[in-house]
Amino acid sequence: MKGIRPSRWGGQLLHARPGSATIPRRNFLASTVRCQSTVQAPAEDLIDQIPEEGETLPRKLPSPLPERALQSAKLAALHSRLSLSKKIPLQALARALVTPSADPNSSFNNANLAFLGSTIINYHVAEYITCKWPRLPMAIHYEALRAYSGPESLAQISRRWGVEAAAAPGEEVDPGLLQWTSNPSALVGTRWGGYVRAETDRKHSFYRRGISSRVILDNDFGDAVDAGSVTHQHHQDTSFSSFVQAVVGAIYSHSGREAAKDFVESHILSRQVDLSSLFHFQLPTRELAMLCAREGFEPPLARLESETGRHSRTPVYVVGIYSGKEKLGEGNAPSLDFARRKACMNALKSWYLYSPGNKVRVPSDMMEEGAKPWKAPHIDIGEVI
Amino acid sequence: MTVKALRAIPSGGKNGLGAFILQCKKLEFHYCDWAGSSKGMNGFIKSLLPKFAAANPQIEFSISPRPGKHPVVTGHYINGRTKPICVRNLSPYEILEKLELLRDASGEKLKRTNKAVTSSKPSVRGIWSPYHGKGMIV
Repeated sequence: MKGIRPSRWGGQLLHARPGSATIPRRNFLASTVRCQSTVQAPAEDLIDQIPEEGETLPRKLPSPLPERALQSAKLAALHSRLSLSKKIPLQALARALVTPSADPNSSFNNANLAFLGSTIINYHVAEYITCKWPRLPMAIHYEALRAYSGPESLAQISRRWGVEAAAAPGEEVDPGLLQWTSNPSALVGTRWGGYVRAETDRKHSFYRRGISSRVILDNDFGDAVDAGSVTHQHHQDTSFSSFVQAVVGAIYSHSGREAAKDFVESHILSRQVDLSSLFHFQLPTRELAMLCAREGFEPPLARLESETGRHSRTPVYVVGIYSGKEKLGEGNAPSLDFARRKACMNALKSWYLYSPGNKVRVPSDMMEEGAKPWKAPHIDIGEVI
Repeated sequence: MTVKALRAIPSGGKNGLGAFILQCKKLEFHYCDWAGSSKGMNGFIKSLLPKFAAANPQIEFSISPRPGKHPVVTGHYINGRTKPICVRNLSPYEILEKLELLRDASGEKLKRTNKAVTSSKPSVRGIWSPYHGKGMIV
């Protein structure tokens, strides 16, 4: 027997369409199950099913009423667990928990707050990354931004806040639960930032996506915006992350810029991200030679510093890369060539991951009262090749 | 462009580094009106619980009767685990101690810690290498 998902048992017959919700289902059953005789079906059955013009049917709301926020113990506990200020009302927190997939009405869902919050989060993270690691290549910059404030990271943060999702969104659900569904038809218009590229429809041809075009056309993390191909996991992450973004948006709108910045710093920027694990070099030796030429150093030279077991099954070579008398990097590996490549990668990483210190000033620090005059930080021109 | 980026999601922040989130999110109380083992629990709910709940707004409290059973307090934690403690025949102040234990727990399984410090940072001194310096003279 062919397996059919329970949600599809009803098929097209139960598919809700505006204005036709009550009529077809009853008539279908009446004509197939009950009326086996040739006698005409009573006409009154049809009459009382059709709603009068202007009459509204009692319909369930897609999300709980804002007034119920004050009665929810979960919501009050969440408000207090995040140590939010008293200025942020519980209703705002309740609204932050309603995603557009649960309630498409933007007067009741968190779309506006999440958009505001995402711009604030991404701005603070981007300025921090730029000032702290001024030599990062753009591709690494995007991935670092994603590691701090991408949907997966923000979803992880909201789970660590103890946010739970409701089994299904609806009016009767506790307002302290996150409301989302993975219904793909509810996804339309919930994304922002970036443009859909012209070539997305032509699937089988390859188009190069350079960094410059990613800056202009793509979203905040350099990902192409395309209408389809949304997995369940991605949708779940987006819904959970929209709560974090909406909380930041609510803090910004109720308690101001500095409170929002403090919140972003303490919850999002305080996470440990290992940037050196993000690099993937294809031609490290050539790139290091180009870097030395660009910066006016002497050309790099690989020297074997020590070795052991050359004729054994597990040799170890330690290779250092020198530019004149300066040692740029060192690497060890079981073959000479790979040791040289590793040494080059270490030298390049130590160049790209230069940081002026842990306490860097960022442009938004100038917004504070009595800030010292701005001294422009050194920002490098970026990748070598 | 020979540098490419790999995707890596950080394994998670350290709670308390930046912001602290109390790990206990819900406390559930079960009591019986009739049974003698619930006597202390009933006294606790009447006298001490309102103050305890007001002092800990981060936690959601739920109280429900469970007739004919011993009284139980269950802590629910952010990591998804629960800690139930049976508080039969305990006095209100003994129950309060149990509640403080539940509130301050992280929800993880209890572990024996052998090292004084557990750090995710690499060692400042580095790891000793046999290939550097003079090495060991045998």
